[in-house]
Amino acid sequence: MSTIQRSVSSAFTIAEMEARKIRHDSTELWMRTVQPALWLLIFGEVFNSIRNLAPGGFSYMQYIAPGVLAQSVLFVAIFYGINIVWERDVGLLTKLLSTPSSRTAVVVGKAMAAGVRGIFMGIMLFALALVIGVNLRFDPLDVAGVFMVVVLFAMCFACLSMTLASFLKTRDRMMGIGQVITMPLFFASSAIYPISIMPGWLQVISAYNPLTYVVDAIRSLLLTGDYSGVPFDILVLLGTTVFFVLCASTMLKRLIE
Amino acid sequence: MTATVPAGVTPEPGEKGNGVAIEVSDLTKVYLHGPKAVDSVTFEVREGEIFGLLGPNGAGKTTTIKMITTLTSATSGSIRVFGVDAARWPQKVRQMLGFVPQAISVDGDLTGYENLLIFAKLFFVEREERNSRIREALDLFGLGDRADDLVKHYSGGMMRRLEIAQALVNRPKLLFLDEPSIGLDPFSRKQVIDHIKQLNRDFGTTILVTTHDMAEADELCDRLAIMNLGKIAVSGAPRELKRSIGGDVLTVAVSGKVPDSLPAELGSVVSIEKGTVKVLTIDGERAIPRITEFFEQNGATVDSVSLSRPTLEDVFMKYTKTSLQQEGSFREARSARRSITRHGS
Repeated sequence: MSTIQRSVSSAFTIAEMEARKIRHDSTELWMRTVQPALWLLIFGEVFNSIRNLAPGGFSYMQYIAPGVLAQSVLFVAIFYGINIVWERDVGLLTKLLSTPSSRTAVVVGKAMAAGVRGIFMGIMLFALALVIGVNLRFDPLDVAGVFMVVVLFAMCFACLSMTLASFLKTRDRMMGIGQVITMPLFFASSAIYPISIMPGWLQVISAYNPLTYVVDAIRSLLLTGDYSGVPFDILVLLGTTVFFVLCASTMLKRLIE
Repeated sequence: MTATVPAGVTPEPGEKGNGVAIEVSDLTKVYLHGPKAVDSVTFEVREGEIFGLLGPNGAGKTTTIKMITTLTSATSGSIRVFGVDAARWPQKVRQMLGFVPQAISVDGDLTGYENLLIFAKLFFVEREERNSRIREALDLFGLGDRADDLVKHYSGGMMRRLEIAQALVNRPKLLFLDEPSIGLDPFSRKQVIDHIKQLNRDFGTTILVTTHDMAEADELCDRLAIMNLGKIAVSGAPRELKRSIGGDVLTVAVSGKVPDSLPAELGSVVSIEKGTVKVLTIDGERAIPRITEFFEQNGATVDSVSLSRPTLEDVFMKYTKTSLQQEGSFREARSARRSITRHGS
């Protein structure tokens, strides 16, 4: 096996580890679906009555469904670093890093593991949308595209989270920083309202917010069917992901020193 | 326990090769703002032996292991594992070694089987061999019937055994065990030690072990090194080390005519009082029959012989205490303590 094949194999094995754990016990992920459900059922329902809030003639429920999906994946990913800190504390990380895998393979594997959780959230959200009758484009190719974006997005923020974990080193601090990061990202994106109605300064910030591009891509796939912006969205997301993968691979060893 | 060697392996049974497994020279690690955790350490672990790294908390054992396993980089010095430079080829080195860290590091949220499966994959064990090796390792370590239970429901001893079973599946040439029996009950401890010996014997695995338990080190190690304040205080075979701090004392209860001196090759008489002769000798166990014979030939009747000998603990105390006293200014003792707090026990 070549070095690259080995790295890919290691990364998939680490992701498989996560999938097996979810199969044994998915309680945490079920609880994590409560929040997006509330956003959709309560927030969405209330604002649904305001006409013309969502552009393009869509109902508000339709409009925020992609935003809520992105938000729920963001939460799963940004708190993924807590898992890493926990694994460090129990010695699992040391063990993982003493395998022949490269640091990057371990980081990518862990990021893909967050992606696995993201897929779970995606499935839950699609199920919820079907049940409460939010009309989305359930075309198989679109759905596949959404899952691709979700995995990439989860990987991106899981790597950010692992990088932060390398500096913060405790679970408490990770909880704190998670809260600090998620809300501004969420509000400075097009997740729950169009960028066009934001004040100018917020519009500028939202242009640098990866979540904006994620929501835009998912919304194009699930709602508008206008794919013209999607390649650029994915390019931005891919670039950010590669950047954070490199950060996390370089910094991860700080955790075990 | 009888060893059953899993099929498809060609072990080198009991053969202690002449090769060098680990070659550490002039190894130093300085943590940022910290003391020298490891200070110009040089030692060699031979292929096929069980080598012990002993020392008080904060002596630098764990840091040394972390450097050899490429988990942390050395500040200076060099490490070769089976001839491969650890700084240049970390992944190649990691492919050859297994590591059982101090904290129990099996994944509680996976089953025993899955734990072994994941790590077999991460060590690139051939797909065709994986399942049979895992099943055999689990059976050998008495975990076969719990293979599909989540590991969080295992006992501490079972988790440790599972970790060592992992080494059996991956077949590393070199296995690192950091405090393998810490926190185990005597029975589990014995099982773990037996399994370690078995790995060494049946697969020729070279083993580097750290421990605080001197009796365990004595029983397990072919050779060992005692570290103190980041340096190697002394190294050698347990028997040599014990001999180096003085001979054995035989207390002989005799009646009849007591000879007041012994031939020099048997030892020297330390004291004689009312039917009890104390003899200082080297290698006491072998000396017992010869001394008894000598006494009986000279007309005395030997009623009993008891042997007391320096233990590895005496060796440990001697080398860690004296060097603490020699160099152990208040400042150094404090910095040693700080390093414990920072790097864990």
